[in-house]
Amino acid sequence: MPPLDLLQGTLDMLILQTLQWGPQHGYAIAQTIRARSSDALKVETGSLYPALHRLEKQGWVKAEWGVTDANQRAKYYRLTPAGKKQLLQERDRWMQLVAAIGGVLSPDAAKG
Amino acid sequence: MDAARRRDRWRAQPGRGERVTMGLRDWLTRARRDDDLQDEIRAHLSMAVADRIRDGEDPDTARLAALKEFGNVTRTRERTRQWWAGAWRVWVLDLAHDVRYSLRLLRRSPGYTLVVLIVLALGIGANISVFRLFRPLALAPVPGVADSGRLGVLVAETTAGRVLPLSHLDFRDLVTAQTSFTDIAGTSMESLSMGFGANGERVWAEEVTGSYFSLLNVRAQLGRTLLPSDDRTPGGHPVVVISDGLWKRAFGADPNIIGRTVLVGGYPLTVVGVTEPAFHGTIVSIDIEAFIPVMMQPQLHGRDDLSVRFAPKLWGLGRLKPGLSMQTAAAEAAVLLERLAPLHPDEEITYHATVMPMWRSPFGAQTYLLPAVMLLGAMGVLVLLIVCANVSNLVLVRGLSRHGEIAARLALGASRTRVLRLLFMESLSLALPGAVAGLLASESLLRLMNTSGVAEVGPAGRVFFDTSIDGLVVTFAVLLSCGCAMVFGLLPAFRVSRVDLASVMRDELSPRTATSSRMRNVLVVAQVAVSMVLLVGAGLVLRSLDSARRADPGFEARGVASLMVNLQSSGYDESRGFAFYSRLLDTLRGEAGVESATLAAQTPMALVPGRTRDFEIEGHVPRPKEDLRFLINPIASDYFKTLRIPLLAGRDFADTDDEPSVKVAVVNATLARRFWNGVENALGKRLRVSRGEWVNVVGVVQDIKYLRIDEEPMPFVYFPYKQYGLAPMFAHVRGHEDGGASLTRLRARVQAMDANLPILDARPLREQTELGFFVLAMAAGVIAVLGAVAALLAALGTYGMVSYSARQSEHEIGIRMAVGADRADVVRRFLGRGLRLGLSGAVLGIFSALLISRALVSLLYGVSAADPVSFTAASGVVMAVVGLASFVPAWKASRTDPMAALRHR
Repeated sequence: MPPLDLLQGTLDMLILQTLQWGPQHGYAIAQTIRARSSDALKVETGSLYPALHRLEKQGWVKAEWGVTDANQRAKYYRLTPAGKKQLLQERDRWMQLVAAIGGVLSPDAAKG
Repeated sequence: MDAARRRDRWRAQPGRGERVTMGLRDWLTRARRDDDLQDEIRAHLSMAVADRIRDGEDPDTARLAALKEFGNVTRTRERTRQWWAGAWRVWVLDLAHDVRYSLRLLRRSPGYTLVVLIVLALGIGANISVFRLFRPLALAPVPGVADSGRLGVLVAETTAGRVLPLSHLDFRDLVTAQTSFTDIAGTSMESLSMGFGANGERVWAEEVTGSYFSLLNVRAQLGRTLLPSDDRTPGGHPVVVISDGLWKRAFGADPNIIGRTVLVGGYPLTVVGVTEPAFHGTIVSIDIEAFIPVMMQPQLHGRDDLSVRFAPKLWGLGRLKPGLSMQTAAAEAAVLLERLAPLHPDEEITYHATVMPMWRSPFGAQTYLLPAVMLLGAMGVLVLLIVCANVSNLVLVRGLSRHGEIAARLALGASRTRVLRLLFMESLSLALPGAVAGLLASESLLRLMNTSGVAEVGPAGRVFFDTSIDGLVVTFAVLLSCGCAMVFGLLPAFRVSRVDLASVMRDELSPRTATSSRMRNVLVVAQVAVSMVLLVGAGLVLRSLDSARRADPGFEARGVASLMVNLQSSGYDESRGFAFYSRLLDTLRGEAGVESATLAAQTPMALVPGRTRDFEIEGHVPRPKEDLRFLINPIASDYFKTLRIPLLAGRDFADTDDEPSVKVAVVNATLARRFWNGVENALGKRLRVSRGEWVNVVGVVQDIKYLRIDEEPMPFVYFPYKQYGLAPMFAHVRGHEDGGASLTRLRARVQAMDANLPILDARPLREQTELGFFVLAMAAGVIAVLGAVAALLAALGTYGMVSYSARQSEHEIGIRMAVGADRADVVRRFLGRGLRLGLSGAVLGIFSALLISRALVSLLYGVSAADPVSFTAASGVVMAVVGLASFVPAWKASRTDPMAALRHR
């Protein structure tokens, strides 16, 4: 299956979700999203970094330089309390959206 | 959006002050952030490479694969960067980028840039020059005083609409009664002698009230200015403040000048201060060099105007209270004098007070120069039209040759607005250098325009006409330049941004190219037409000047030497003064080589009205609003003989027409015809200066030009000088010659009679009367330069068009020459193209000029607005210019090497 394009606005939510499990650097965030979606979602770096900086500017994540296990210097992003709240809201909205679209697409609805 | 989210957004968006500091910080840390981002991306890549190596790829493949996977690094960086800056900052950055790009492009095509700059320099320079003439007349009439354009002038206006100074008493009454101004200072302009004997000279002075300097906010660089305490008792304040110019010129910038006594008008005054260098008094175009308390008027002029209710003396300069308009102030002033009238029941009021802006004030050069300068400004706008058409054409042509680039931009996803903006920026980035070039050009253009001698406007005194470049001029230049850039940038930008992608990609000429070549032709025709109009205007004004020079002013100045003596200022009383004048006349008349000699208080063609009086004419009931204020001239006998003014009836004055004998007058033909139905009828009729004695008319003379060559006929009255009162007089002597030796001899005679007498304005009368041509000469100078600029621009435009179309047709020329066309054919073809356009432009221009030239009528003299000579000459110049501008590129095109041209495709 070719990688799916991410829906507008969902990247932010996925990044915030990824960071919920602990601070991560950009590369790891991309890898995580890819792995957890079983390679279905491929995060373009051309979108990832603008998104990270956007989230930082909005105060939802905080960036700090750190060192990886492999002794590589990398910039780590950490979820802030505001980011956590934002994540919860976006998840709710997403769930509602899925439910709504699901309702429209369900075979029952199509018959009715 | 729910509340929590909104709150977060709120938190994420810092407050206003914070935003500013953040913005600043953003700018400062921009470079650091950029490095930071680069490190971050590098880390990303090296982790990706490390992962791939761990998965078994070899390092080189791993690196390539990682880079490929990452995608466009620069693009990522650019998109990320956007989030550091707000939207407007991105916009500014884009703009800065556009400007940089434009400048780079302009640098890469220096020829194009140079031509555009030359066009802008000429066109904008011409307009800046006119603006520099306009500014001191209307916008900044008082040099060295901020905001002087907003000063209100308080004056008297007669029922006939004539504006006069107020009498001293009226002025004081008005100042106390009015409520429109925060403060009013009174001033009057006087010509006074300074020093005595051969070293004496005439200076322009203002006699002012106490608040003059504080109102204008002018300070002294040395000593003090005049204060309210110098405005108390008549005759009690023998002090003078001098200008920086006089201090340097007459006193060698003596640091100990304060406290020195100088003779002004023959009266000793103590110098108490020197004004700031920038200040030259409040009379437009006149360099005022002495400021004297008006309380000294009786001492300086030998008569007391301070206590006479109807002696016009002062006008007020005032700053309006905030929020009040001139109209409101004028409305208040209009009724004030009437309201005050009951206080002086014995005095008849025939005028009311009014308030006008300084540019309308008759006290200074503005009244006679502004109308001409405004007309010239309108001509300047025509030049701007040519500039815009010209540069539009250049931009258009350049835009066409950039179709490929623009198509590529559009194809790569640039929005049309973005491309439009880029093209627009290119034009705009020429505007600033254009303004600078215009300012530089205006220096030389102004000098060219000034051959008429604006700088010598006053043979009768010093002139200060501030045409320097100041903030106002620079602002004007920049605005004008940007305005032009918008006009010439927009049109082509719209056209070019509507590129038809497909046709460009196929390297075809689209139908749109044909449209824009039609467009270019229209622009060339327009330029030629407008320059035609300007050249016709220049022709008309130049011909007017020429016919004015050859016109008969009614008198003959050639052969008359002239100088002025001021007896009062040397302490003469009336009887000694008249005795002196009689002796002077006898001496001069006895001189060998002197044909005749006379005295007169006024010189003819003086530009500025001198003495005027309100008259009553026996038997004539004035119509409402009839203006019976006429110019007068106190003269000695032989005046008409010396100036060769024909006597139409009656007699000349005799030396016996003096104070005790019957009062007599000589009037001009216009007065005789207007009130007595003819020259002969006038003899024996009576008239009088209001409130004066009746005077018999004993002679009628032909009209002459009293103020300027192009004036309308006006009534004029001559009085015998001995029946008028002692005044400074010009001696006019007709002899073999009017210059050099004759003047020297004249000077020597006067000196021999009284060595202490200041001799002023010794010069041939024909130099003195140059003033009468001044306005016309100034206008001619300016409009000739405007016309030349217009012709030059039209030539550039035609040249550009023909050479472009020749370049476009290189291929075609190649084919034609290959099949046997010779060079002459090619020249004919392109020359014909240019001439056809030129001809259409000229014809269009002739018709426009016929319509427009009527607006020039006020500047014309002895030439009709449809003067065939001017039209023919202008057509000739236009066609010659267009012909030359077409021939050169046509000839160049004929040098095309056919083989090279054909190989090109």
